[in-house]
Amino acid sequence: MKRGNRLGSRALMALVFLFLYAPIFLLIVFSFNKGNSNIVWTGFSLDWYKSLFQNRLIMRSVYTTLLVSLLATAIATIAGTFAAIGFYSLRRRTRTALSTINSIPMMNADIVTGVAMCLFFVAFFTFWGDFSVWFNGVQSVVVLPERLTLGFGTLLIAHVTFNIPYVILSVGPKLRQMDKNLVDAAQDLGCTWMQAFWKVILPEIKPGIASGALTAFTMSVDDFIISYFTAGSSSSTLAMTIYGMTKKRVTPEINAISTLLFVTVLVLLVVVNLREARAERTGQERHPVSRKLTQLLDTPKGRLFRRGAAVVLAASFLTAVVLLTGATNAQPVVNVCSWGEYIEEDLITRFEEETGIIVNYQTAESNEALYSLLKSGAGDYDVIVPSDYMISQLIEEDMLAELDYSQIPNYGLISDRFKGLTYDPEERYSVPYAWGTVGIIYNAAMVEEPITSWSAMFDTQYAGNVLMFRNSRDAMGIALAYLGYSLNTTDEAELREAFQLLKDAKDQGVYQSFVMDEIFQKLEGGNAAIGAYYAGDYLTMLENNEDLAFVVPEEGSNWFMDAMCVLKDAPHYNEAMAWINFIASTEANLANMDYLWYASPNQEALEQYPAYYEELYEEELGQETYDIIAAPQEVLDRCEAYLVLPLETRKLYNDLWTELGI
Amino acid sequence: MSKELIRLRDLCMAYDDELVLDHLNLYINDKEFLTLLGPSGCGKTTTLRIIGGFTTPLSGDVLFDGVRINDVPPYKRQINTVFQKYALFPHLNVFENVAFGLRMQRRPDPSDPKRKSRLPEEEIRQRVLEMLEAVSLKGFENRRTDALSGGQQQRVAIARALVNRPKVLLLDEPLGALDLKLRKDMQIELKRIQQQVGITFIYVTHDQEEALTMSDTIVVMDKGSIQQIGTPEDIYNEPKNAFVADFIGESNIIDGVMVQDKLVQMYGRQFPCLDGGFSENEPVDVVIRPEDIDIVPVEQGQLTGTVTNVTFKGMQYDIIVDFRGFKWLIQTTDHSPVGARIGIKIDPDGIHVMKKSRYSGLYGDYSSFSDEYDELDAAEVDGDET
Repeated sequence: MKRGNRLGSRALMALVFLFLYAPIFLLIVFSFNKGNSNIVWTGFSLDWYKSLFQNRLIMRSVYTTLLVSLLATAIATIAGTFAAIGFYSLRRRTRTALSTINSIPMMNADIVTGVAMCLFFVAFFTFWGDFSVWFNGVQSVVVLPERLTLGFGTLLIAHVTFNIPYVILSVGPKLRQMDKNLVDAAQDLGCTWMQAFWKVILPEIKPGIASGALTAFTMSVDDFIISYFTAGSSSSTLAMTIYGMTKKRVTPEINAISTLLFVTVLVLLVVVNLREARAERTGQERHPVSRKLTQLLDTPKGRLFRRGAAVVLAASFLTAVVLLTGATNAQPVVNVCSWGEYIEEDLITRFEEETGIIVNYQTAESNEALYSLLKSGAGDYDVIVPSDYMISQLIEEDMLAELDYSQIPNYGLISDRFKGLTYDPEERYSVPYAWGTVGIIYNAAMVEEPITSWSAMFDTQYAGNVLMFRNSRDAMGIALAYLGYSLNTTDEAELREAFQLLKDAKDQGVYQSFVMDEIFQKLEGGNAAIGAYYAGDYLTMLENNEDLAFVVPEEGSNWFMDAMCVLKDAPHYNEAMAWINFIASTEANLANMDYLWYASPNQEALEQYPAYYEELYEEELGQETYDIIAAPQEVLDRCEAYLVLPLETRKLYNDLWTELGI
Repeated sequence: MSKELIRLRDLCMAYDDELVLDHLNLYINDKEFLTLLGPSGCGKTTTLRIIGGFTTPLSGDVLFDGVRINDVPPYKRQINTVFQKYALFPHLNVFENVAFGLRMQRRPDPSDPKRKSRLPEEEIRQRVLEMLEAVSLKGFENRRTDALSGGQQQRVAIARALVNRPKVLLLDEPLGALDLKLRKDMQIELKRIQQQVGITFIYVTHDQEEALTMSDTIVVMDKGSIQQIGTPEDIYNEPKNAFVADFIGESNIIDGVMVQDKLVQMYGRQFPCLDGGFSENEPVDVVIRPEDIDIVPVEQGQLTGTVTNVTFKGMQYDIIVDFRGFKWLIQTTDHSPVGARIGIKIDPDGIHVMKKSRYSGLYGDYSSFSDEYDELDAAEVDGDET
């Protein structure tokens, strides 16, 4: 009985550890996979690590992460140590109260801290703007910058803020363990308070400070949520970059960087724990080498050396920080916000090399997400790439700047078909980026006959195997198309009918889930049979699963255009023009078309792409494939572009969407 | 005696609105061994900390050699301290602990008097080794302090303070953490060191025996005020009030009336004594030390009472005797059984008469006496006195 119990509890423990570590183990194993799958092992290789180190987005975010973590750790350690000493000298009741207040930020949900800080910073910037306008008006000696934005500074402040409690928490106990007469004794023997701090308090609490600093550093490296809300558009930490990359598909490159991150944090934690374990062992003998070294450093010459080394280190660290931040500040910058995996990254590097302008490239999940980001004041971008209907909404709300087309000569290369579309009829605000159609992607092996109609999206015979869009416009659009109504209808009855169709299908369990970019993994992995998505993305999926097929249903569909726009008051207007002109070039369009499998609006690129493909891959591009990328005119004729909807219709969309309860 | 070194004038101190020092006045002579003696919370440690500069008094002055030093920080005073539980620096070895003060010292450079320079390493080394030898710790230089016994740590603390050649050494209950045997040895050792270095020691303790053994002068304190200042003999033989009489040694304190000079009345009987200077028929407290009482046959006794408790103490018996409800402690070499009626006789020089004070009636009755009484008393420690 007893024996059985023990076996049982061991098995349980093994299970617990399996659950905890199996996913990480799998992640690490597949970071060494040769192929780009997370399921099929095709051989060992370090390619993903190599490509990781060549990925400038990742490398830049590693740099940002290290810089912000180190700086935040340094500042938080100093501030936290002195705060802990301040706490310690308070009376007990006050101290207990303060300790509780101190530990609340650690317990508090990161999301709350993050949102609160974001709101606070934005509110402060507004106040600062008013203040500096007034201040610059009344005097002319100092000119204050009128426009502050979220960025490295706010990221650093946020990290320092959430790190300080950890330092206090780890230094406090060391102080309480310390004989309270030690400081008096040092002062009695000729020390000022500050000397007593250096000579007596610091050596006593050093282990606490070191663990505090290590914990803080780990927290900083690890943090995603708070960084996400405070980093703004110009800086991006590693965790944020990884998150951005996973929006489409978890490539082994992400496995590789996650492995490195995991190992880093693991090493730091092991170091922290070892230190604590060693500190707990009393009467420890120090290693002879370290003792010898300490003795050597304790001679007068050694002390001089120590002081000199400290000064040199501190000075070089400061210089490095000043130079680095100075360098990034001095260089021209453009902040771009686009969609996940929506650019050939070489283009960024090439643009930076050609123009010397640094590109801060970030991604949003959907038009709606981008819109709310802009409205909250947190999205401080220069260039955005919204879709047609969103562009007209932004124009309507006066959020876009007029473009200076004289700086964008490549605009002339845009096919006339795609100029002056309904969202920007006077050609003042936008330069087309890419276009495509929405259709049904399905796994031919999982359905009985080829799908040609939207009816498949509502058919109970595929219950549990269908993936629907997780945004109201596209989901409703499909239902409207199936019913034969306009995608831009404002008729409440028609909209309610479409909604009822969705609702019934949902209630009958037709939908496995409502997705955006998660659709890649689901369809590639054969976890779902049918999904509605963009044509270009189908071709990307096809590379990983040959059973997939695509159709633009006979009822017609949505065709969309994403175009580059510049936000009103963009801080880097001219750089934005340079970026847009570069991306509008035929060369860039070809590269993007090849990477995205979305159609280019550039007439030359459209014409040259088959040849470009043949040269690159040494095989012919099938007409069928080309037609999926760039739908022929007769397909486009069946399709309809989204228009901006009147406010009350948008409200109805919102209400219906909420009622659907995704 | 020698000249005055420290004077405390009208010192007041309060923590959280509670008065800890109440207009304290005291002067301390050079080269004197002075003890501040009193129970927990009497203000003795506060007084010491004010002298050391760790606490600033609410009002009043601290004069050192005639100069006011209220605002002089501790590191500029020619005073060093031996702390409760020693406060040795755990990260430094014995040598570095003792050398700490010397390493902090700066003095005018002999070649250029405007520049201040450190002490030469060789001088530091020599002085530290000398001092370690003086406290019998030769050969312990490289030991970690937490590898030393309590007595050895104590000596390091003393050496660390004395190596700076201060004019005054403050000692805050330095023997409190040692066991009884070691404490007795260290008492003698401390006195020897004080005579050897020839400086002022200001010693804080709640242990009356320690105070009597070592001090030139004892200052008895209670509730932030000085109760009596005097030599150990004065304090023991001529306590000023019931508090002092009770705190120093054992005392029977009886209500009495001074009939006239050299005649005091207790229990309705008159006893000849040596005290005078009271007004006629003034109520007084009468102190009779337990060892000054002779047991005699009932018919010869000035008073008669019943034995209620007998304890064998080795050299003598502690006998509790009931005299009309008031219990006396008598120390005698003669055994009397419990329940026996005995007579007592007190010589005139065994009677000490004190004026009535706020402490009258609080002490001197042995009704609650028991064997554990002594131990309880000894176990009293200054807990969180600040």
